[in-house]
Formats: sequence, structure tokens, C-alpha cells
Amino acid sequence: MKRLFVILGLLSTILLFGSTYAAEQAQLGMTIPLSGAYGAFAVDMKRGAEMAVEEVNAAGGLFGKPVKLYIRDSELKSDVALRRFKEMTEKYNLKVIIGSLSGGISLVVNEWACKNKLLYMSFCHTSIPWYKEFCGYGFGAGLVPFQSGQAMAKYSFKNLGKKWMFIGYDYRWGWDNLRGWLAESEKEGAEFKGAIYLPIGTPDFSAFIPQIMQKKPDVLAMAVAGKSLVSAIKQFAEVGLTKKVKIALCKGQIIDFKELGPLCDQNIYGASTFYWKLQDYYENARPFVTKFKDKYGRIPTADADSAYVGTRAVLEAMRQTGTATDVPKLISFLKGFAFQYNKEPEAFRACDQARTQSIFILRGKGQQAKGWDVADIVTQIPYWDTMQTCENNAKGFPYAQIKLPGK
Amino acid sequence: MEITWQLLLMQFIFGLSIGSIYILVAGGLSIILGLLDVVNFAHGTFYMLGAYTLYVLISLSGNFWVGVVSAVIIVSLIGGLTERLLLKPLYPRGIFYPLFMTFGFSICIPDLIKIIFGLTGKGIGYPAGFMGAFLLGPIIIPKYRLFIIGLTFVTFLGLWLFLKKSNLGMIIRAATRDSLMVEVLGINISRIWTFGFMLGIGLAALAGAISAPMVSAIPDMGLDILIDSFVVVVIGGLGSLSGAVIGSLLVGQVVSFVSLFAPAFSHAAIFLVMGLVLILRPRGLLGEEGRF
Repeated sequence: MKRLFVILGLLSTILLFGSTYAAEQAQLGMTIPLSGAYGAFAVDMKRGAEMAVEEVNAAGGLFGKPVKLYIRDSELKSDVALRRFKEMTEKYNLKVIIGSLSGGISLVVNEWACKNKLLYMSFCHTSIPWYKEFCGYGFGAGLVPFQSGQAMAKYSFKNLGKKWMFIGYDYRWGWDNLRGWLAESEKEGAEFKGAIYLPIGTPDFSAFIPQIMQKKPDVLAMAVAGKSLVSAIKQFAEVGLTKKVKIALCKGQIIDFKELGPLCDQNIYGASTFYWKLQDYYENARPFVTKFKDKYGRIPTADADSAYVGTRAVLEAMRQTGTATDVPKLISFLKGFAFQYNKEPEAFRACDQARTQSIFILRGKGQQAKGWDVADIVTQIPYWDTMQTCENNAKGFPYAQIKLPGK
Repeated sequence: MEITWQLLLMQFIFGLSIGSIYILVAGGLSIILGLLDVVNFAHGTFYMLGAYTLYVLISLSGNFWVGVVSAVIIVSLIGGLTERLLLKPLYPRGIFYPLFMTFGFSICIPDLIKIIFGLTGKGIGYPAGFMGAFLLGPIIIPKYRLFIIGLTFVTFLGLWLFLKKSNLGMIIRAATRDSLMVEVLGINISRIWTFGFMLGIGLAALAGAISAPMVSAIPDMGLDILIDSFVVVVIGGLGSLSGAVIGSLLVGQVVSFVSLFAPAFSHAAIFLVMGLVLILRPRGLLGEEGRF
């Protein structure tokens, strides 16, 4: 009898703790460059991700517990980002990681995630879904850089002029945007006047002005962002270059538009995946914009949107699959997952795990800008006009065949 | 790209304006290094403070020129207080303690600025009448760049006159050579050091204030200029003001002309020049043998 009670007691203990032990804990680890020159954009990503987690937690969390989001500063360095991810995955036994503001860092993280079989949801402009970078573990909630380059080029050649020149950061994001421009340029018979490759964070653009003025392009394509972009436009405006040439930004950041103020006039265009005025076109954009504004005191940017969408999709995958740690199951769910969170119906394409989303071409409002109403949406370029087919992506066509001038 | 004399002339002019900012920052760094033997890692921070102080003062006064003059005075005073309160107690401990203090200052202050002003930069407009450019045929000469070149020339002319012709300038030059002897002669060397530090900081603040319309006031703007300034000081010769001027002009032209032919290496090229100078003439172009 005594033995029976012991056995029953042991069985009860096993069942009790066993079931507790089996209950999943939804956890996400994120690194973004909170310190450094791009901190303002990283803060937006952080807020977008936090908002998505808070929404799920407000509805009761996942698996009976709140979702945990661990955030670390990558300092915009790939070695630091990797170190932080390693620390978090070891400490918290993470299976899902998110984040990155830098496309270059996202590629490094993706490679590591693939080796360690972790699900990685990238928020930035990244080439994770493309050609040899694709490994099946990475998803892109942001754009592939070729898309932004090609979308901006498409609009520019139709509306702004066909003589163009490029100035951009001398690393993967800049090169991929240039490839997008070159691909479109060949299609449209545009005249390429040359490319200037810059060190990241260049503050003084004065030395480039004479050659830009000599070449007299209709359009100056720029793959530059943040403080460098603001400096560039100010210095170009100083010599009247922004009146002579249309500026086409591969990434039109609203934060930069606002900082430029009246200098961001109708000669300045930018490609963006989200702008708060989409709430006038898409009903579901309004609650996102309103909630973000109420919580953080200003409108969400495209970085906030991609972080929110990416995080929410991952959490939805966890909810629907019933697991936070079975990576193949989560990936299987997310492949082809269709949703409509902040704008039009979108999906993570099954073949390359890239988000199918439109690109909006914004034009500065100059003196008419008021508060965060700094740009007008001049057109929407649907994803099928900028995304390559699955077959092309797998072969790297056409971008892998495009040789970068001067490289 | 067609290399014409007009293009080269414009690159030269832009190179002069780039060099002018370096003259102000590196000149200040040289004064502090030459007089106090302090490697001021916070020099870029004061450059940044010059920009932010200008931003605040323009917001209050609406006047760019009042803002620039006031920014220089205010940041110089902050520099003086920094030297008195933070650096002076550390001088007896050798050269590394003041260096570490300035390093700590350079970490803390930008973070404080981010808390107060936010992470994004603050835009500052060009002063009225200085937007635009003079056109000499195909040659474009931005007005504001000309102003920077002119202001730097006037500032350094004034500084040269002060150091060469005034009693205080003579004392500062003497203290640079032998501060112990100056002290023995009954001059309060501590005050000279403070004044010298303020002078160096004032130049950095001036550079930050006049750069602000071009690059905005950004919390981390001091780091880039600090690294470049150290390169200039090494090229020119540690502690040599004339060397800082020559080094700055050289670096400005290197950045400008390398940008024309290999823009991706425009920044890296100055380190190559520094390396060459260190190999061929380790004390720098106008540095003193055995000084450091």
C-alpha cells in the first residue's frame, strides 16, 4: 500500500512538473543599433516590435504566458550583433531572432542563423531572400534593396528624366540599389552618367559636387541615409544643385525629410514601404498609426512598420503552430503566410520568404511641410513590378549578372 | 569624367574649405597638446557642443552671428571649467589620467546631448545671404564655403598676432617650451594652462558652429572630426600650430582630390598620408624632434 502511494505520488509529480516543463515560453531576441548614428531609426524598429509584442500580451500572451522580447544594442557592428545574438540564444535558449537595421549585418546574422538552425526575421532592406544568400531560415520583412532601387528608377525614368547618376554607400546595400537602377536603366534605355561610392557616414559631400555638376544628370540616385543624407542635401542645396537635378532617394526616410525641412522640396523623391498618410488609403493603417502616435508621440516610420509586421507574423506563427521552438514548423507556417496588418494584403513568399509589399514614391513638400506631413505619395509601385520571379531569384537573375561600374 | 581645369579648380576650392575646418579643430588640439601635454580626446565633443550651442542660441535669438560668437564664448567657458575641475587635479598623476578623463568626457557628453536633444540631428539654416554660389563662368564657388575659408584665415591671423605680439601670447609660447621656467619666473602657470585650454576649445567650438549649417548638429559628429584631427596633428607635427595648418590644408586637398578619382577611399587616403609622413619624417612635417 505504501509502495502504491509512493508510485502514485511520483506519477502525480511527473505529470504536474512535466506539463509545466512542456509549456512553451514565446521568446524573441532582437539586436538593433540603438547607439551610434542610426539610433533614431533603430528606436523606431524597437517600438514597432514592442508594440506587436504588447498587443499579443494584452490579449493574454502565448501559451498562457507573456511573450518575452529581449533587445540588445548591436552598435551597427556585425561582430557585436552576432555576439549579442549568441549571448541571448545561450542564455535564454532562443530559437527565433529578429531585427537588424543594416542590410550588411542582416546577411551576417542570416548566415549564422542558418548554421545554427534558428528562425531569423529581418526588418531591414536585406538580400536574405536572394540567390546565394537564401538558406531557408531567414525572412525579410523589409525590402530587398534591388526592389527599392528598381522602383525609384522606374518612377524616375518615366517622370523625371533619363540621364542619371548614382551616389551611394560603398557596401552591399548601396551596390544592390545600384544594381536595381542599372537593371531598370537597361530596360528603359536610360543614360547612365557614372557612380560615386562613398564610405558609410560621409559627412562632407562638397568634394563630389563639381563632378556631379559637370555630368549634368537629370536625376541623382542616392543610396545614402541618415545624417549623411541630410548633410548631402544641405550641401547640394547650398550650391543650387537641388534646383538643377532631381534627387531620387533609394530609401526615403521620413525622419530625414523632416530634418531637412524646407530643403526637402518637390525636387526630392524617396522610395518607402510605409508612410503614415497611407491611413487615408488603407483602413487598417489608421489604427496602427494612431496607436503608435498615442504611445510614442509621433507617427510610425517604415522601419517601425517592418518591425511590427515581422514581429507580429512570427508571433502569429507561434500561436497557430502551438510552438515557440519548433523552427521547421514555424518556417513552414510562415512560408506563404498571407496577412494584412498595416496596409494592403501581403505575404511572405514561399519560395524566397520575402515580403510581398508595394513601394510608395514620396515627394517632399518643401515649404508646405507641416509637422510630420513632410511628403506626398505620388505613386504606388506594386510588388510584382519590383520583385523578381521565384525562378529568377533562385538564379540571381538579373542582378548577379550586372557588373558594378568601377568595381 | 572629363578632367578640366575648372573641375580641378573647384576641387581645390572645396579642398580649402574642408581644410579650413580641420585648421580650426586641429589647431585647437595642437595648442592644448603643445601647452598642456594633454591629448584631448574630448576635442570632438567640444566641436559638437559648439554646434548644439549655436542651435540653442539661434532658437533663442534668431541671429546666426550672435549665435556663433556666443557659442564660442560659452563653450570656451565650459572648456575652462572642465580643465579646472576635471583635468587640473589629474596633472600630477602623469599624462594618462587626463587622457582617460577626456576620453570619459567624450563618451558621457554625447549621450547627455542625446537625452536632452534626441537622437536625430538638429538642422541649422545657412545665414541669410550665404546660401547659393558665385558663378565665374563654369566655376561655382559656394558663398558659405568662401566665408569659412575667410573666417579661418582671419581667425588664425588674429591668433598668430596674439601669440607673436602680445605679452600673454609670449607667455603662452614660453609655457609651451618650458612651463616650469615660466612658473619659476612668478607667472601663475595654472591660469595659463586654463586659458590655453579655453583657446583650443574655442577654436573647436567655432569649427562646430560654422560646420553646423552644412552637416547639422548631431550628437556623434565629434567622433569623425576628432579622428581626422589627430591625423592632421600627427602629419603636421605634435604640438606645432603651423604644422596643424599645413597638415590641415594637405588633408583637405587629399580628401577633395581623392574624392574625384576614388571616392570610396577619400577618407582612408588621409591615413595613408599619415603613414607615409610617419615613415619618412616621424616627428611630422613641422614637429620638434624629441618633443613627444
